[in-house]
Amino acid sequence: MPSAKDIVRKFTELKTLPHVAIKVTQLVNDDRSTMQDFEEIIKLDPVLVTRLLRLVNSPYFGLSQKVESISKAVVFAGMKQLRNLVAVEALRGMFKGDNDDFSAQKLWLHSATVAILSGMIAKRIFGKDGEDVFLAGIIHDIGLIVENQVAGEQLREACKAFREGKGPLTECERNAIGADHAEVGYLLAKDWGLPQEVLSSIKSHHLSKQVKSVSSTGSILQLAEFMAGKMQYWPIAGPLEPLPPELTEHVKEKMADYKIIIRDLPGEMTKAKELYEADE
Amino acid sequence: MTEPTFDTIFDDLVDANAELQSFLATLDALLPEASMLLVSEAGALLEGTRPLTVALPVRDKLVHEARAVDGFVTGKADNGARCHAIHLAKLSAVLIISCAAAPEDDWEPGAAITSLLRNSLELALYRQEREMLVADHEQSIRQINILQQQHGKLIEDNYRQYRLNQDREKEYARKLESEIAKQTAELREANARLEEISRLKSDFLANMSHELRTPMNAIIGFSELLAETPLAEEQRDYARTITQSATSLLTLINDILDLAKIEAGKLELEHLPFELSEVIDNVVAMFKIPAREKGVVVSSKIDSRIPKRMMGDSNRLRQVLVNLAGNAMKFTEKGGVAIEVAYEREAAGRIVGRFSVHDSGIGIPADRVEAIFEKFTQADGSTTRKYGGTGLGLAICLQLVELMGGHLAVTSEEGKGSTFYFVIPLEEAPAEIISLQEHKDAAREKAPAGGRILLVEDNAVNQRLAGILITREGYEVEVASDGTEALEHLRHQAFDLVLMDVQMPNMDGMEATRKIREIEADPALRQSYVGLRSLKQPLAIVGLTAHARKEDETACYDAGMNGFLTKPIIKAKLVTILGEMMPRVSCLENHDPS
Repeated sequence: MPSAKDIVRKFTELKTLPHVAIKVTQLVNDDRSTMQDFEEIIKLDPVLVTRLLRLVNSPYFGLSQKVESISKAVVFAGMKQLRNLVAVEALRGMFKGDNDDFSAQKLWLHSATVAILSGMIAKRIFGKDGEDVFLAGIIHDIGLIVENQVAGEQLREACKAFREGKGPLTECERNAIGADHAEVGYLLAKDWGLPQEVLSSIKSHHLSKQVKSVSSTGSILQLAEFMAGKMQYWPIAGPLEPLPPELTEHVKEKMADYKIIIRDLPGEMTKAKELYEADE
Repeated sequence: MTEPTFDTIFDDLVDANAELQSFLATLDALLPEASMLLVSEAGALLEGTRPLTVALPVRDKLVHEARAVDGFVTGKADNGARCHAIHLAKLSAVLIISCAAAPEDDWEPGAAITSLLRNSLELALYRQEREMLVADHEQSIRQINILQQQHGKLIEDNYRQYRLNQDREKEYARKLESEIAKQTAELREANARLEEISRLKSDFLANMSHELRTPMNAIIGFSELLAETPLAEEQRDYARTITQSATSLLTLINDILDLAKIEAGKLELEHLPFELSEVIDNVVAMFKIPAREKGVVVSSKIDSRIPKRMMGDSNRLRQVLVNLAGNAMKFTEKGGVAIEVAYEREAAGRIVGRFSVHDSGIGIPADRVEAIFEKFTQADGSTTRKYGGTGLGLAICLQLVELMGGHLAVTSEEGKGSTFYFVIPLEEAPAEIISLQEHKDAAREKAPAGGRILLVEDNAVNQRLAGILITREGYEVEVASDGTEALEHLRHQAFDLVLMDVQMPNMDGMEATRKIREIEADPALRQSYVGLRSLKQPLAIVGLTAHARKEDETACYDAGMNGFLTKPIIKAKLVTILGEMMPRVSCLENHDPS
């Protein structure tokens, strides 16, 4: 059976991550990069330029003057937001193709929901920058896409086994494919050069027993994953994994907060859709 | 899909009665004298801190009635006290309350206690909503904080960017500087290399000059001598042709060397007093014979305002005028050639003169005017075949005039003639220098012919030629082949003058001259030299060199020589310098017999 590495290698032979996405991620990680460097990269992709300008000119930024230049837009958006914009752009194209057992489009909706929920939890409850968790959310299930490309038949087998209650999804994947999407996604994101915390949260988003800190990216991702699953934003039918007790306890304490987040989620999703997908 | 709610998502951890419990606790605290019960929609019974027991049938009845009306319904508790029930729509529950302190009729609708109770209920309900509002508010504050942090980070990022850009600019400037420095160094090196090549070229030319002049010396000298021997007319003609050709070849060599010197920036003009009319007359005289042969008139005119004597390089001025007049003569078949020095203006205390050479010759086509000043170019290719010449003359004149601070120009009309002219500032010679010159002239006139000359020359042909020339002028001559031999001669014999070649084997002319001066300065040593011990003044030494450069001349004087002659020896020049340099009283007359 192929290892997770084999699967990723096979995938990258078929499809490459957009150059822009990798380059922008590198620039975000580099302290010495300047707005000009970003501009040089972004302007290669007209779709990105349009999105970036739309983003900074949206009511969310509330700027009094219209931003027309790329470098100015980069300044206002901030590097991380820019990175996320590029990531969304890069990933969306990969989430294509539906069948009975596995719907990539549903998975995209799931990923977007998890990303938005994660961002909301991080910002509203823990008062921290939501950009990294948003990225973790949007990319956490990329492993499934990789598997679908490289080993579609086996993935469907795994999904079927999972639906029939033959164990957690990751276990079914390992049985059918030889690796699970958490590991595969982790390796792909590592190649991409994403931050360490994002990488480890991808790797551990199905390991419900490993909760280090409630406010960690991994915990927020698990929580958002659980909530999205409960909302039926989940492409693979089957039993949901229970929430780890630490997180259950946390939700109990912050019940009012989570009620508000759930109340506000539809609005946030509409907003995100406007920012990221308005031209479709 | 129905809108998901907290309850549907976290169904496992939602306690259905938690909200009711919380409401009951709040109300319980608000109404310390009342005891109460809360019945949920599902029929669950929640009790306050102060017990109130109502029998099940009574309770069911109260709940049922309360759900049907808006307001209180009344019943009786187990302890006989009256109790009241009200339906709370927001909680989907019925509250049963009993208050011993309140009078019975207060429970009537509109009574004060009822209002109070209602308000308390509202308050308890709002307290719960407030919890949500507080959480909402707190979330907003956290989000605002994040935005503030992001804003701060943007500012920080921008500052960092600014610094980075500055660093990059500095780095770029530094790179640029070092690049410029590198290129400058390279250019300097290339320049030094070029200068070295140029120096080597100059040295080569100087050597060539020597190599060319030595044989020319012999050719011109012997052909002149040959012409003076008894010859048949045909032979005399041949001898004259040899002399003419050799002379024009020497002119050409001099032209080329001059041009090379000018281009190497090595030509320096002299700054000596001279008489302008002498120069002009000299030039006119040169063309007298060819003019007469051609039937052309050569004339000259000098404006009276032009200084008679001036400072400058008379030889170079003559060279320019001879060149221009020579050209004019060459291209003029009838009419005349006029040399004129006109007063142009006075500027900065100096008179500016206009020198022109006008001819009535063939003229120059307008489109060829520029080209004639270029090296090796004449008005057109056929000119060379028809009139001869190298085309170097005008190029040299142009450069010389520029060195004199002027510019050579021409106006010409084809078929009618041309005027070459240049305008240069003239410097009047100071008076004392004039008198010195006159004194020198006077001295020369008084000098008698005759005397003993020591010729130091290694080349046998030159020994013979110079020997013959000197003897013909009426001097005695003794020959030495190098410096050592010359010193040996001086040890035993007296001489009036030494003609000293500069380049010789063993001991060259420079060294020999220095030796002689040393001996003269040492009274003891001087006694052992017959040729030096009795002299009242330093022995006259005239250098002979094929190197015609200014620095060669300077080097001769530096070594202690009194005069300087270039080879090939021109008879006239030799005669002049011997006349100047020979002492008035020959060593033959005051010869010390001891």
